[in-house]
Amino acid sequence: MNEKAKNKEVINFTINGRSVQAERGWTVLDTARQYGFHIPTLCYHEAVSPSGACRLCVVEAREGKWSKVVISCMYPPYEGVEILTDSPRVQNVRRWILELLLAECPASKEIRELAAEYGVNSTRFEIKDPNEQCMLCGLCVRVCDEIVGVRALSFGSRGTSKKVTTPYMVPSEACVACGCCVAVCPTGAMKSRLDQVRGDLAERIGHAHG
Amino acid sequence: MTSSNNERHSRGIGVFLCQCGERIAPMLDLSRLKSLLDNSSSIDFVTILPFPCMTPGLTVIKEAVAQKGLDRIVVAGCESRVMLKKFERELYEEGLEQGQIDMVNLRDHVAGVFQGRPEELADKAAKLIKASVAGLTALKTSPKVKVGIKGPVMIVGGGAATYSAAQELLRQEIDTLIAVASDDIEDEIRMLHESYPGERDYHDRLREIMREVDESPYVKKISEGEPEKVLGRFGDYSVAFSSQNGGAPRVYQCGAVIAALDGEMLNQGSDFGHDGVRVVCHTEMEEQLWVHGVPEGRVVFWINDLESDQPWAQLSARTAWNLARYIRERTVRVRVSILYNTKMPLPLSAMERTQAGDLEIDWISYDSKIRPTVQAGYITYTRPVDQIEVELAWDKLVLSPRRSPGHEAVRLGKLLGLSVNGHQFLEKGRPLVRPEQVGQDEKFLAGSARRPCDLRDTLRQGRRVAKKVMELIETSQSGGLYAPRIVCTVDRSKCIGCGLCREICECGGIEPVEGPGGNIPREVDPMVCTGGGTCAAACPYHALSLQNNTTEQREARVSELVQCLAEDEVMGFGCNWGGGAAADHAGLKHLAYNPRFYLLPVGCIGQLDPIVMGRAFRDGANGLLVIGCPPEQCHHSYGLDHAWSRVNLVKKLLSLCGIERERIALAHADLNNPEQYVVTVESFMAMMDRLGPIERTDQVKEKLRGAYDTLRNSRVRWVLGAGLRRPYEQTYPADQRHALAFDETLSDVVAEEFIRSRVMALLRESGQVMDLEGITRVLEESNKQVVLNSLKELAQEGLISRIFKDRTPFYAMR
Repeated sequence: MNEKAKNKEVINFTINGRSVQAERGWTVLDTARQYGFHIPTLCYHEAVSPSGACRLCVVEAREGKWSKVVISCMYPPYEGVEILTDSPRVQNVRRWILELLLAECPASKEIRELAAEYGVNSTRFEIKDPNEQCMLCGLCVRVCDEIVGVRALSFGSRGTSKKVTTPYMVPSEACVACGCCVAVCPTGAMKSRLDQVRGDLAERIGHAHG
Repeated sequence: MTSSNNERHSRGIGVFLCQCGERIAPMLDLSRLKSLLDNSSSIDFVTILPFPCMTPGLTVIKEAVAQKGLDRIVVAGCESRVMLKKFERELYEEGLEQGQIDMVNLRDHVAGVFQGRPEELADKAAKLIKASVAGLTALKTSPKVKVGIKGPVMIVGGGAATYSAAQELLRQEIDTLIAVASDDIEDEIRMLHESYPGERDYHDRLREIMREVDESPYVKKISEGEPEKVLGRFGDYSVAFSSQNGGAPRVYQCGAVIAALDGEMLNQGSDFGHDGVRVVCHTEMEEQLWVHGVPEGRVVFWINDLESDQPWAQLSARTAWNLARYIRERTVRVRVSILYNTKMPLPLSAMERTQAGDLEIDWISYDSKIRPTVQAGYITYTRPVDQIEVELAWDKLVLSPRRSPGHEAVRLGKLLGLSVNGHQFLEKGRPLVRPEQVGQDEKFLAGSARRPCDLRDTLRQGRRVAKKVMELIETSQSGGLYAPRIVCTVDRSKCIGCGLCREICECGGIEPVEGPGGNIPREVDPMVCTGGGTCAAACPYHALSLQNNTTEQREARVSELVQCLAEDEVMGFGCNWGGGAAADHAGLKHLAYNPRFYLLPVGCIGQLDPIVMGRAFRDGANGLLVIGCPPEQCHHSYGLDHAWSRVNLVKKLLSLCGIERERIALAHADLNNPEQYVVTVESFMAMMDRLGPIERTDQVKEKLRGAYDTLRNSRVRWVLGAGLRRPYEQTYPADQRHALAFDETLSDVVAEEFIRSRVMALLRESGQVMDLEGITRVLEESNKQVVLNSLKELAQEGLISRIFKDRTPFYAMR
């Protein structure tokens, strides 16, 4: 370790019983991935800021007898905390989340596969739309804003009818058809929606000049 | 090749390999990959990180950059479209800028799509990374260009938005020049109904704004002449105004130009019975109200926009409502009705509906199936409820106007380099280009010539563009306004001012240094250039280059890759928006395809100079697949079409070399259809397997060298340039791409220059004195006459010398 690193504030804690070191500014997920612990994520993407929408990356933070379930993508570790990434309590919460997601976006192959990994094959919640693929994590909206910088995508409507769409629900003039939203979408929903977002490119690019 | 950006006295290339959780590491043997790269002399530092993109990984990269003195790095992980910006942001502080960070997509181009042994995948990854490193080694980083905004802001066009924009600027104490039609505020207000009828309620507010502008010491008025010429570049313009008495134009310097342009209202034709007296349009109605006062009898407003193919019915309805209210508020003797199509939603708020009831203004809807007919004193229409044809009596019939941007606005728009297509409203036609430019149009536009709108909207637009200008001025004053890194630059010592680049440029960033044209070197406005780079790939004299992303870099990359490739391996280029993006998505979906295909990235397929294609074949490639966007969907407008012409040229040269033409092909890929991309690659690979490798005899190698030289040849590039699609062309007109005559001329020129290049290369490399017999024998050229012709020409042009021995001419390099 060089001089600069030595002077950095180091936080000592444990993940699954192994002692790890984090620097100030790291999250639990940062540290876990650095040490090779796998935590499943959906709405998290390295390119954009975390939003904690899907809750799938939950871990258990324990301090003596006290413990609570937190989202690892935004939770800053502190000295001495014990993090458990796969405890029975965490698994239970994750199964509940997956069951909810199965009801929210039953048509998503990615979600079904992930749920099956955790032994969740059916849901007890009401399925609103059997063809829904989107779980409303908003990763596409964040990428379009933070990375592409055009804000062609946004959330439309409110409450239970909330959905990812373009302003006024017409193909967006701001969309540059880069496909970043499709690339980051964890459920495969954007693939089928991209054409609604970008519209007829040949016409938009202006090859219909004159 | 020294770096011009020598603030950091270090040079080194670092490679950071990403495990990406389990998405790269178990499939691909990273430690083998690391040891393969460790041996490379051009790489100074290699390390493996679990996640280079997350905070801990970035910390390691930053430390390595600082400690090892790295000035360019390769991150081998995932797709650059999503991740590159984060690395650029995070490493900016460390002195790494756009162009100095490259990404190789191991996850989607190697690990995700090929089921091979981990060592094999490591070998493949090593080749791609070495190619990327070679490209970075050839990078000459350009100095940072700070952009300043010199002088006041000028607002031209004389639209109503002039005043709201000027008000916004004067409140920030920014000097402003405004070009107005008249010095007198009341004159201006009187003329306003020509563009914005029925908005008299708003005039008082506008008058206040005008007074404030009029009295401000920061605003100077230009009330004579029209803008005739706009020269200069971002931050430093000179605008010439015509003189009224034919004198020399008056020139004003300014740092930014805002166009405040109002559209025109035209009258309806006789097919609606318009006569300007009894059947009038909104503007005429307002004028009559002002001059003659409120008319007698029955007034009917017919919102006939849908019938006259105008999509602005809502606006017309607002105007009709305003005028109707004005009439009824003054006299109750006049009956007023507004007739509108059922297809059109009523643009009234709940309060206004009540008001309409109180004022007894009838809103009458008619069925859209039958067009109302204007008759003497009556207008007939079908009632939607009972489908009965009814008549409505009128003494004065008021029609909607036809809206147009107006000739003057279109003229001025062209002058300012706004993309103007015919007589469309000026907002249309922004090319789909790199994202950073959205909302950063350097010439600012407000008013109803941009798109039809009411006065309130126009003033709001004026304030908005003024704010945008102020933001730019602020950034430039704080010294934080820099020109983008990857834009075209002109080497003035090489530029002959032919103007080809300007003709094919889609962004309008290329301008002559001064004057209207002729043999004057060009220059590029970096704030306008979109970095498409097809102009650089077309320049016959190699004067234009895309800085920090040059043809030389792509050549180095191609050369490095083909030298690593095995005989049965094939390379291709995929553009950022089509081919490359489809390949990324194929990886994300784990679609397996032929592992012997290697894809190199390129920003736009139009950036691909034919030289790069020629270099690939010269240095050992057996095939080249060039994958762009779907037809007519190129993000840089015409890069794809230009690539078509270039591939066609390389095909001609391949057949001159005696090689199958199909070894190079242009393909199209949609980013959202990776399955199709896989089919494209598999099909090309199957064809390449049938063809087998090129048999590289000495003769073929010599010919391929000749082909490469031919692609560098100015004359060939010029003739090719003549056939490239221009931005103003809808599709290729028959006299260009599809024209047999043009293609045959191109073939002839290529064949001539091919021989010339080979003769030159032979004389240069052998260093001997040779006669015609000797030259044709060595070149294995059957047609002596062709060789003789080119020898004669070369001698006449003084490129080679001719010596006679026993009356036989001998030739040698000068």
